[in-house]
Amino acid sequence: MSKFRKVEERSAPAMNTASLPDIVFMLLFFFMVATTSKETDPTVKYTAPEGSRTEDLTPYKQRSEIDFLYLGAPRNPNRASAFKFGYALSLDNVVQATPDGLYSTNAVSRWKKDKFDQKPARMIAPIEAVITCVKADQSAPTGLVFDIRKQLQDIDALTIAYSVKDKGVNKDSE
Amino acid sequence: MANRDIPEINAGSMADIAFLLLLFFLVTTTMDKDQAYVRSIPKKIEIPPEDLPDVQKRNILAIKANSQNQLMVRNVVFSDPDMISDFILRFYQTSEIKNKPEENFPLYSTATAGLCDLRMAELDAKIEEADKVGASDLVKFFSSALEEWNKKKKAIKLYGKTELREIDKQAHIRIEVQEATAYSIFTQIHNEIEEAIVELRNTKCKELFGEPYTLVKQRYNQDADARDKEVLDLIEILYPARIVEVTPKN
Repeated sequence: MSKFRKVEERSAPAMNTASLPDIVFMLLFFFMVATTSKETDPTVKYTAPEGSRTEDLTPYKQRSEIDFLYLGAPRNPNRASAFKFGYALSLDNVVQATPDGLYSTNAVSRWKKDKFDQKPARMIAPIEAVITCVKADQSAPTGLVFDIRKQLQDIDALTIAYSVKDKGVNKDSE
Repeated sequence: MANRDIPEINAGSMADIAFLLLLFFLVTTTMDKDQAYVRSIPKKIEIPPEDLPDVQKRNILAIKANSQNQLMVRNVVFSDPDMISDFILRFYQTSEIKNKPEENFPLYSTATAGLCDLRMAELDAKIEEADKVGASDLVKFFSSALEEWNKKKKAIKLYGKTELREIDKQAHIRIEVQEATAYSIFTQIHNEIEEAIVELRNTKCKELFGEPYTLVKQRYNQDADARDKEVLDLIEILYPARIVEVTPKN
């Protein structure tokens, strides 16, 4: 009679995975709370330039006091020649020629006015304070940004934001 | 037959479902916040005035960029754009303690609570006069000027000193770009300006109230607090950010 039993005979007990869904759900909720979904997938190609000391636009987004417009190269490179300097505007996913293009007279100011009229009734900010955030490609000519700016000035939408990607800042300097 | 136990539902695939949901959210969301430089556009003027006031050279800090993306500050080529913020600091700080007229930078003037009262009384009289004639534009103009002096008076009170040194009213930073200048150069100029002004404001705000300007501003953006607004007003009077963006010519 041996003092040792055969070890192999006993199989390992199954691990209780009942709490696995709970863990995964917790992860899920974390991501749902911590992230914001992309509002639109722009119909133009753009790479944001980098900058530091920027202002966070989240509070304005929460109060819906901000509209975004994109300025970049059209997805189809063959169409680039149709636009001034080869750059097109994307207003709510509709590709438009740049502000003074032939077919889109006052496109920006008309779009901005429409956006302002659609704002929720509880919003009290006047049109002067509603930010228009320009998300332009890093190599886009600044002249086009000024064209947009002029159209906003025409309808008294007097706050503009130049979007950049924050590259972070040296915390020692604070 | 009737009292048979209800069989337990197998929850083994619950984790798979949750994972699927998790992956869906991971893929469709973005972590990065929207960051930008917020600027205001001047109101459109229907009839441009004929006699524009003279602006002294010392009060202008012109930053130019050409179509080859080269930068120039006050007609000196800057090969290293990071140096611009240092130059802006000098623009603000040269005469901050004591006026140095020999340097080509803006001078400071001194405002006191008494001066504010005097100016406000003057404006009150002007508003009354304009109201009698019925010139509503003038009333509006004088009222906004009155509001400005009122703000200044409050700022001096909060500042805790008898007087407040403020930079010349005309001192401003001017951005002159060309049509073909890359947008990244334009934002870089804004970056340098912001860096300099935020540094000035942060230092001052820490010295006076023990917390940086950026923190107060962030808090104010979240929920508008009256005390924070006063602090921000004071700091903005001490270091005003007057930025002029010149529309490029064709």
